[in-house]
Amino acid sequence: MSTRTLGLCCALVLFCCAPAFAVGGVGDEAPAWLTQAAAASVPAYQKDVPAVVLHDEGQMTINSDGKIVTTTTFAVRILTRAGRGSAEAVAGYATDTGKVREIRAWLIRPDGQVKRYGKDETVDLAGDLNDVYNQYRSKRIDATREADAGMVFGYQIITEERALFPHSVWYFQGRLPVLMSRCTLTLPSGWAATGVTFNHAKIEPVVNGTSYTWELRNLPPIEPEVASPEVTSLAPRLAISYTPAQGASGGTTIMGARSFSSWTDVSRWYSELSDPQSAPDDAIALKARELTADAKTELDKIRAIGRYVQDIQYISIQIGVGRFRPHSAAEVFAKRYGDCKDKANLMRAMLRTLKIEAYPVLIFSGDSTYVREEWASPSQFNHCIIAIRVADETKAPTVIQHPTLGRLLIFDATDENTPVGDLPDHEQNSFALIAAGSEGALLRMPVTPPEANQLEREAEVSLAADGSITANVKERSVGQSAVDERRMFRRLARPEYTKAVEKWITQGATGAKVVKVEPTDNHADGRFALDVNFTAANYAQLMQERLLVFKPAILSRTRTAFPTSAARKHAVVLESEAYTESVNIKLPAGFDVDELPDPVKLDTAFGSYSTSYAVKDGQLQFKRTFTQRAATIPPTGYPAVRNFFERIRAAEQSPVVLAKK
Amino acid sequence: MFKRPRLLASVCFSLALFFAAVSPAPVNAFGDQDWKPVDPAHLALKAPVVEKDADAEAIFWEVRMDDAEMDLVFTNYIRIKIFTERGRESQSKIDIVPFRFNGRIKDVSGRTIKPDGQIVELKKDDVFEKVIAKAGDLKLRAKTFAMPSVEPGAIIEYRWREVYPESSANRARLYFQRDIPIQNVTYYLKPASNMLGVEALRYLPFHMALPKFEKEKNGFYRTTLTNVPAYHEEPRMPPEDEVRKWMLLYYSGEKTIIPQLFWKQFGKAVYEVFKSDMKADDDVRRKAAEIVADAATPEQKLERLYEFCRTKIKNLDDDALNLPVEVRRKLKDESPSNTLKKMEGRSKDIAGLFAALAIAAGFEARPALMADRSDIFFDPSFADPYFMRLIVVAVKVGDTWRFFDPSEMYMPYGMLAWQSESQDALVSDPKDPVFVQTPLSVPDKSLEKRTARFKLDAEGTLEGNVTIEYTGHLGKDKKEYNDDDTPAQREETLRSLIKAKLSTAEVSDIKIENVTDPFKPFTYSYHIRVPGYAQRTGKRLFLQPAFFQRGANPLFPTTERYNSVYFSYPWSEQDDVTIALPAGYALDNADAPMNIDAGDTSKYQVKIAVTKDGSTLIYNRKFFFGNAKGGMLYPVASYGQLKMLFDELHKRDNHTITLKQAATTASAAPAPSN
Repeated sequence: MSTRTLGLCCALVLFCCAPAFAVGGVGDEAPAWLTQAAAASVPAYQKDVPAVVLHDEGQMTINSDGKIVTTTTFAVRILTRAGRGSAEAVAGYATDTGKVREIRAWLIRPDGQVKRYGKDETVDLAGDLNDVYNQYRSKRIDATREADAGMVFGYQIITEERALFPHSVWYFQGRLPVLMSRCTLTLPSGWAATGVTFNHAKIEPVVNGTSYTWELRNLPPIEPEVASPEVTSLAPRLAISYTPAQGASGGTTIMGARSFSSWTDVSRWYSELSDPQSAPDDAIALKARELTADAKTELDKIRAIGRYVQDIQYISIQIGVGRFRPHSAAEVFAKRYGDCKDKANLMRAMLRTLKIEAYPVLIFSGDSTYVREEWASPSQFNHCIIAIRVADETKAPTVIQHPTLGRLLIFDATDENTPVGDLPDHEQNSFALIAAGSEGALLRMPVTPPEANQLEREAEVSLAADGSITANVKERSVGQSAVDERRMFRRLARPEYTKAVEKWITQGATGAKVVKVEPTDNHADGRFALDVNFTAANYAQLMQERLLVFKPAILSRTRTAFPTSAARKHAVVLESEAYTESVNIKLPAGFDVDELPDPVKLDTAFGSYSTSYAVKDGQLQFKRTFTQRAATIPPTGYPAVRNFFERIRAAEQSPVVLAKK
Repeated sequence: MFKRPRLLASVCFSLALFFAAVSPAPVNAFGDQDWKPVDPAHLALKAPVVEKDADAEAIFWEVRMDDAEMDLVFTNYIRIKIFTERGRESQSKIDIVPFRFNGRIKDVSGRTIKPDGQIVELKKDDVFEKVIAKAGDLKLRAKTFAMPSVEPGAIIEYRWREVYPESSANRARLYFQRDIPIQNVTYYLKPASNMLGVEALRYLPFHMALPKFEKEKNGFYRTTLTNVPAYHEEPRMPPEDEVRKWMLLYYSGEKTIIPQLFWKQFGKAVYEVFKSDMKADDDVRRKAAEIVADAATPEQKLERLYEFCRTKIKNLDDDALNLPVEVRRKLKDESPSNTLKKMEGRSKDIAGLFAALAIAAGFEARPALMADRSDIFFDPSFADPYFMRLIVVAVKVGDTWRFFDPSEMYMPYGMLAWQSESQDALVSDPKDPVFVQTPLSVPDKSLEKRTARFKLDAEGTLEGNVTIEYTGHLGKDKKEYNDDDTPAQREETLRSLIKAKLSTAEVSDIKIENVTDPFKPFTYSYHIRVPGYAQRTGKRLFLQPAFFQRGANPLFPTTERYNSVYFSYPWSEQDDVTIALPAGYALDNADAPMNIDAGDTSKYQVKIAVTKDGSTLIYNRKFFFGNAKGGMLYPVASYGQLKMLFDELHKRDNHTITLKQAATTASAAPAPSN
């Protein structure tokens, strides 16, 4: 008897419910739109394309009472068994503002037989199982176990909701190819809509009275590639805003929904929502003073508060408007748990007691190119961080300049591994909204330079005549390199951490015996230190009792997955990072260096790499440096990227040959 | 090195007396609504007691299981000490989910005792009921909550009740281990008092000492286990329930159970139940005669019958058929005659047909039951059929019982699925059922045979053709994995396997053959080009001849091990690689790594040679691991030796030879060596 993971139980529910699904009718007729879609001829795709979307249509009707009724019809042809996962209908809804009126699906087999799915085959699932409570739920029909290559799956979903904003987003595509994707918006008389197209040339709507239709056809598949942009930055999408024909003034309320004509409007809206929640109470003030009692500078104070807030347990409870409005700072402080906006809000409150002003920042976590300037809408964000107004004396790579508020230090109070002065790499360079009432603005977030994310490794190695080595390795990392180390250190229990380090060492030196693992996390400075001592028998191979051959690049650690494929469709996204390594290898008596690899020096616009070898006083000194600048390189530049990484890989495989005197 | 696992308890233990008197339920669920007093020593505790480096540790976990009434009720109370931030993170958010759909979680309460002794209660409003899923009338409800004000040094405690209407504790698995160590686990059990024909609630402990039960008030019996370490998952470990400390509860009608007697009776009953499923009518007899017509020996006869059932009768349970759910649900048990007529059936029907054909051909055949080795290592001293979930056919040849499962389309004659190997099978019989251990297949039966013909150029690029064949369990695993994939998916699987080890490899002309062929080995063949395979220095090229092992990571990279190491079955490998050397280069050194001889358990042999003209390198490698006598389980104590063996293997596979530019090379190419 123990508590069990929700994911497991959820799977259990689906599994156990499956037999009941068999009651769906076989021999029913599919609706005309689906029959027509299924008859469409499909172009020849690459053989690994699992399915093709034949028809994807959303018809949204905005009623005069503010209710939005959406009818979605969707059909997909399954091309391979891997495409069976597409045979699922999912209708998300929030229990307080929406409902699913109808969800029905059909599976058309190659012989034309149709299976219908309805109420009895529908499962209603909690939205995010990690949240303690979340009003988002979904209704699902899962036909993946019955679908197969050659079949067509289609569904129709009718939902009803009250939108918080007069905005909508239509995604024309995921990764699958699409034959037809169409979005139709029907407004009350006198209203008008505008659309902004992302990741595609502007799509003009067909307007019929107050009905607007946007459509795309014949979209090719978007294949996944190593280090490619997120699919959200590749697939066409449409952002729609709707207002009465006369035009809405900024910040007005339309049918209960808030409209926005500028980013300042969005800033005002969020400030109105969050500012009242950030009032500090006495307990908060006391704690803030206690935490900063020894702080000498403004940055010290921010670090102390930032660390405290990051260490508060991340727990999400999403009820009603709580999806947007943070819980009160006092409540979060008392319970010592909250989500991203709760943490940013508590930090604001604590800093305010120290007379340091701060503002919530709305951002999209996971794709730094997702948020676009040209559409002022809160719908573009999924995360909340904080901007702290700092004096000129406070220096950090994550300080940006605001036109009126001046210098702002950007900080993510949720990511407990990234300290003040740094920012998670997936948030760097993205647009984010500083929610500061009328002074709010959408600004680009800072990008830290490669040297701010550096890993330095020094190794003292002693090589014996039998090929065994004794190595003392010191790694010092900072910035996002340190974050990766810290994440592993914090996530794993100590024995597991030691095992992970052993695994890393033995990938370079088989059978190594690790005798010391000493991590030191200096969170405040954003630094992480790791000292490892190990021995490895037969690291160097003794050949014919006269040659000793070994690779001086014993260990490896890089944050980038090297692209290796011959061709490339999408851009290559590189993050900012750097490492340097200095290895001193004491050579065994009685051996001379017979061959050293040629030094390598590579210099490109996106990165540089070099190796050098020197022998002095019976020691081989091997050095390598790597610098990679944050960059997005178009597919035409891919051969240069591939060549760069291939040459690095080859250089690190190069052996040194010693010969007996 | 190998020790066959046995259950810790050799007999089963009964808990309650015959028809124990019905006792009134306690006034409230927790016996006493007050929390237990907190020992200041626990609050002051700075380090875990049970397991060094634990981030949190349960001071106690108490479970009251009340099976006396119609509803089965579990009442839980746990107190946890938090030591680190990691402990705070992992223990603060709690999801309590019933283990059956009809279960309800009730009466949740909790509190945090901060390091300074201050108490923060979990408010009722902060406990949420989450409907995780609903389908029709079925709902799975969980209670979720976050403990308030948790920090390192604090103690958290919470309680809840789980109620399962009209349910019984029969065959419940009670676990004594959690994801954190526990100082004291206490179970209070109150058995059913009104089950007709039931003598007692019995219990069988696994991987723990025999629990001592003491009688408590209100009809409960109490047992406590102390200093229980956390449950740790590791790669290549035995099945979960062969590692965790747990106890099986079950009701039995017998006062005293003598296992031998029980299995005799059970084996007879099994025979009676399945007798009609093996009945041979005229059609079956005719077919049997036709199949074995040209067979001279009993072995040949059996092989023909087995291959007929395995390959000619379509198995409707095969997931690769992708039968619609509604069709599968309508399938009924069929007689051997009907299965033969339709030439298709479910696994059980095919086994029945095979038994009927064998009987018709003059053999003695019996259904045999056994446990699944991927779930539990069964011991017949446990007198209950709970674990006996697999059925095969036992056929007597001479004085020996042989075992067959013709529903396994990819298992060649003479082999069972690995889950059925090395298991005590109960051979049913109308008079004298017996336990017979099924054999563990020898390594040669599961062979990975790899061939490569390469050319190496002066830049270090290796290019050529590769063929890999898999037989036995390896072949079955490959076929099962691939048979319901499309050709494109199969290719993608292969490309991923290659890329994982050789990131620069360019693969073309892929052929994947015999994926659904019951006889031929599963086969990959492809052309490959690997730039930078050999490393070039000024005057030498360094080459790893063990192409198939290039880029592989050590099997056991870590020094410490919590659990035994477990391999599913013995296997062997055989490599035949030739590499045409680049013009202008000749072998400077072609030492072969030393062989490894670990007796019956494992052998590793490598031979490196060159052709007479010195133009081509020849590399042969043979390896096997596991043996039919020893089994595949290695206790923690032998982990060091095992790791050493596989580390050595890895090193020797990474062995490099040197090619030198011909002008400066010594005259003689090395003789074949090992």
